Amino acid sequence: MNGLGFFLDYSRCIGCQACVQACEECDTHRGRSMIHLETIQRQDSVQTAPQICMHCEDPICAQVCPADAIKKTPDGVVQSSLKPRCIGCSNCVLSCPFGVPKYYAEIDQMMKCDMCYDRTSVGKKPMCATVCPSQALAFTTLEEMQRSRQGHAIQDWTFGQENVRTKVYLWVPEETVRFQIDLVQIQGPSRIQEDRNDVAALLED
Amino acid sequence: MAKIPIPIPALVDRFGPHLNTEPPGGWTTAGEPDRVVKTHCCFCGQQCGIQLKVKDNQVIGFEPWEDFPFNRGKLCPKGVKRYLQGAHPDRLMDPLERVDGEGFVPTTWDNALDRTASEIRRIQQQYGPDAFAMLSGASLTNEKAYLMGKFARVAVRSANIDYNGRLCMVSAAAASKKIFGVDRAANPWEDILHAKVILVAGANVAECAPITTHYLWEARERGAKIIVLDPRMTPVGRTADLYIPVRSGGDIGIFNGMLQVMIERGWIDRAFISGHTTGWEKVEETVRRYTPEFAAKIAGVPAEMIIKAAEMWGPAATSFLLHARGIEHHSKGVDNCMAAIQLVLATGRIGRAGCGYAMITGQGNGQGGREQGQKADQLPGARDIENPEHRAHIARVWGVEEPSIPRKGLSNYEIIHAIHEGKIKGLLSICCNPMISLPDSAYVRAALEKLEFYAVVDFFLSESARHADIVLPGSLMEEDEGTTTNVEGRVIHHKKAVDPPGNARVDWQIICDLARRLGSDKFEYRSPREIFDELRRASQGGVADYFGITWERIDREYGVSWPCPAPDHPGTPRLYQNGRFFHADGKAHFHPIEWRPAAEEPDAEYPIVLTTGRVVSHFLSGNQTRRIAGLMKQEPEPFCEIHPRLAGTLGVAEGDFVKVESRRGAVTVKARVVKTIRPDTVFIPYHWPSDRAANRCTIGALDPISKIPEYKICAVRVMKTARPVDALAMLSPAAGGVE
Amino acid sequence: MPGKEKTGVLNEDTLHATFWGLVVAVMLSAGIYFGSRRLRDFDPALVSYAGASVFCAFGLAYRYAMWLRRPPTRLYWFRGWQIFLRPSKLAGNLMMFVRLFFQSFVEQRFIDRRSHSRWAAHWLIAWGCILAAMVTFPLSFGWVRFESAPGSQDVYRAFAGGVPVFSFRLDSPIAPLIFNVLDVAAVMVLAGVFLAFRRRARDRGALAVQQFANDLLPLLLLFAVCITGLFLTASAHWFRGLHYGFLSQLHAVTVIFTLLYLPFGKFFHIFQRPAQLGVAFYKQAGQQGPPAVCHRCKKAFATAMHVEDLKSVQRQIGVEYELEGSGHYQDVCPSCRRQTLALAQDMAWRDTRRPGSTR
Repeated sequence: MNGLGFFLDYSRCIGCQACVQACEECDTHRGRSMIHLETIQRQDSVQTAPQICMHCEDPICAQVCPADAIKKTPDGVVQSSLKPRCIGCSNCVLSCPFGVPKYYAEIDQMMKCDMCYDRTSVGKKPMCATVCPSQALAFTTLEEMQRSRQGHAIQDWTFGQENVRTKVYLWVPEETVRFQIDLVQIQGPSRIQEDRNDVAALLED
Repeated sequence: MAKIPIPIPALVDRFGPHLNTEPPGGWTTAGEPDRVVKTHCCFCGQQCGIQLKVKDNQVIGFEPWEDFPFNRGKLCPKGVKRYLQGAHPDRLMDPLERVDGEGFVPTTWDNALDRTASEIRRIQQQYGPDAFAMLSGASLTNEKAYLMGKFARVAVRSANIDYNGRLCMVSAAAASKKIFGVDRAANPWEDILHAKVILVAGANVAECAPITTHYLWEARERGAKIIVLDPRMTPVGRTADLYIPVRSGGDIGIFNGMLQVMIERGWIDRAFISGHTTGWEKVEETVRRYTPEFAAKIAGVPAEMIIKAAEMWGPAATSFLLHARGIEHHSKGVDNCMAAIQLVLATGRIGRAGCGYAMITGQGNGQGGREQGQKADQLPGARDIENPEHRAHIARVWGVEEPSIPRKGLSNYEIIHAIHEGKIKGLLSICCNPMISLPDSAYVRAALEKLEFYAVVDFFLSESARHADIVLPGSLMEEDEGTTTNVEGRVIHHKKAVDPPGNARVDWQIICDLARRLGSDKFEYRSPREIFDELRRASQGGVADYFGITWERIDREYGVSWPCPAPDHPGTPRLYQNGRFFHADGKAHFHPIEWRPAAEEPDAEYPIVLTTGRVVSHFLSGNQTRRIAGLMKQEPEPFCEIHPRLAGTLGVAEGDFVKVESRRGAVTVKARVVKTIRPDTVFIPYHWPSDRAANRCTIGALDPISKIPEYKICAVRVMKTARPVDALAMLSPAAGGVE
Repeated sequence: MPGKEKTGVLNEDTLHATFWGLVVAVMLSAGIYFGSRRLRDFDPALVSYAGASVFCAFGLAYRYAMWLRRPPTRLYWFRGWQIFLRPSKLAGNLMMFVRLFFQSFVEQRFIDRRSHSRWAAHWLIAWGCILAAMVTFPLSFGWVRFESAPGSQDVYRAFAGGVPVFSFRLDSPIAPLIFNVLDVAAVMVLAGVFLAFRRRARDRGALAVQQFANDLLPLLLLFAVCITGLFLTASAHWFRGLHYGFLSQLHAVTVIFTLLYLPFGKFFHIFQRPAQLGVAFYKQAGQQGPPAVCHRCKKAFATAMHVEDLKSVQRQIGVEYELEGSGHYQDVCPSCRRQTLALAQDMAWRDTRRPGSTR
């Protein structure tokens, strides 16, 4: 992909859902949107976040697939389940550390973000990252990102004890070198309820 | 007799809104398009570049246009799904005639146009030339906007034409004109990137101008601080460096308060002020009273916020102000804008890279639509209709006698008043949907029902068109060619992708045909390009000078910014670079601004502030976006945002139905209990019809200068209520029902 | 990947799989030997087909056994049978099996919901192949033979395992059908292959992800088998046996190659895919048990059996989702995982951009 990378910065997201609408236009799954757009806790905040497939080097979704139906292309893109093989068990849906795969009951098959393989495999940018107005999803070179943004890109995550390395980069502040998810982070969302999101509390200062 | 001919559910059944879920031919991935057309989005003022895929004379999809510099391929959800308007089951394919008790029946073009022309003449003969009015729109191309102005003055010869930009950009326009003598964003968007502090005043950028978000974030990456003023914490406000939850209508408190602190601390560019401006002394005298404590009371926020804003804005090396409807939709909208712009002027940070301001125009051709002479008080080139020289120039271009051009007419909402007063008896509207977009819907409906004759040009049967006697099926943007002028003042080129379906016609031909039937020979255009060429000549020498702009140049240069007086002139992306302003004295004019209350402030009977606005997946009156399944799925029905504290006192929980009632009307919508809004304010988006129309509650109070209605504040009471079960509530959400 | 520590060719898995491959190959050989009445009914001309079939059986068993060595597969395999064979539920399960078998195997409706043309192609290919297999394997194994009745040249008799099963007159309407059943199958498969090729040539999505070895080669093989088979018929009926010998060798080559490819390429899904039925029983059983409740949002997001089984699979393959402090990442629902990541990243940026800010 000519030095182009996929960069994710959740904090930029404005929740417009352009990515969700555009994902549906991708030829490998036209009419079905593969991206997730989380409205995190609307009563407390307007925060939203997109989740694309992070394309792990050693994808857990593939490891837990009983049908051996999830394959990675030589260029590191983890594809939707192979249609002849997928037996619709949802192991991947439940095991993916990023919560990416989607199970479609009507076709009894898992489908997932494949980085718009119809586009990226011929040098075009993925739909979501092309249209994303906030560029929370950006598909560009690492050099361009480093030139134009503060912070840096990481590819290493730890979920509990499990280390995961992804093809897609997460854009984080300079001091963050590995993204660690443990109980603290999972219970952390209580932090969103802090006063800085409550307009009434802001007015009382 | 512009009453609805049959009950609304029956009309909905036939004309929608229905949802288009799939492109023509379904979600197929077989085959390739016949061609890909580089054009622009039809929706908001940003006018993003987009490529439409065409197959068998139908738009079947889109492809981002990454070369277009403004948006580089980026699109909001509306832009992504806009192509689904094309092969839509609700599309009007034939002229329609209202038959009482039967609905709308197809008729021939000859009959429809003859009847419209004869009704225009009958009404004018019976009640005077100005008794027939026209309402036009700012989503029309420059060519069509120009044509509508000329049609009104030359063919119909009525003074009463105005447009729906009156509901949108006029406060910003008037403020800029009063201060700088010209009405345009001062800078290209590129300049946002170079600002060290950005003040976003009354603009929910994330939802109403999503592409601008990237400019804000890129500026932040370069170290810019962002200040956001909004009664609701918007997605941009959420991570802004300073978010000020200003009370709706309290903005002058913030602006004057900031200016007061800046004067105190010496963050004023006195050299610039004395060299390039007039009227500063009076401003200084006025704002002296606006101490942070005093200003904070007006603004309804802690004084420290105002001080902090001043500390960020005052000493900055470069700065940019972005403002939009939040400060403009007020009976003091012009004053709000002037107070904001004077923060820019007082620091002298204008006319250079990273320094300036812009109003974020809302409608597709919000900028161009207000320059081509479809405003009640303007002639093409943003010329003044009362100025003898301007009149003479336009009379020459049009080939008419100067005295035959009518004088200044009534503004949009004043036309509604005049219908009530019996002064206006007939109406032709194009590109607008007053039943949803004008305040106090009941009053608007009563006006439409009083009309003796109402003709509508539209591609879908809008809620207003249901009142029409004749409906003329017009064209979508992609079915015609022309130019618009984007939020930056950049003139861009919309290409034709497909033909109008069935017997629908392109709008400009409809208007020209009508003009001919009215006996005018000044509308013999063979293409929109000929209209544009006449527009260029008409605008020549005016403020908004398009003379040097050609379609070829636009295509070559990705748009050309006006003023562009000659073919070899590069265009003017950034105004005031030489420190000269557009007033005759070359200076910018300060105006002292005093805060005053809104037309209707909350009181004991109606204790809550209602403010209205948009959501990202819908555009204006929703006539287009409420027919697209993907966009409806995103936001199916309106809601009432309410702070848990207020909800608690009212006994309202998330998802409950609430009745929001003002002195004029009420809506019943679901409550969305969120901490991201001021506890004294509720918010309802306005894109939906009937009992879900926020504008049933809003007030028809106008700004005395700009005549913009006060959409952003009126007084309401809110109470929990049962799920509505009447016939209208049973309709689909797109038609005003509830889910 | 699972079993990452295992290297070398002769590890435990391959030995195990080789064993099963040999068992099945030997069983088939014995089946051929005894089914053809100690080779009395065996047609020596078809020996290459029979040999390829035995090899194919070895390959299929080997591959299947290898497949079942994967922890997630093994778990579903044992759980599936365990659930299916529960005595109290067996009757109901059999009913459900019949229904699922009809829907998923006979009708293949789930493919229709992806696309009609895809379903048509698959159904034609699948049933064409099944029809052909039902004829050719018994024939080449010598399990079935045809001969004219001793009394009359006009009556044909079919024997299975040496036992006469039925007879028919040569001028009866079913006669041409029986003689041409392979041609009918070939036409069905060719129609399906044509539809599949058409889709693969036009569908932009398919064009993006298809690979020659995986997606086109199987279609080419089917095409070759069918067309050479039809050539044989054409040669015999219309061209007085022109090049018949060459053509039959060519046909044999295509069939044998296909048989050898069968265990290792896309066709393996024929044997693998019925696991889909097992999953249906697994899901049903899970729903009868308690749900798994998300550690964060406290909402049900899966069945408890599934989540616990997954944890055990993860242990076996070395995925360590145990959380610092306490708890298990597998107990967090997918939506909460996404939210957690976004919140943590957003918070990191907030702390950097406005250290200590409370506004």
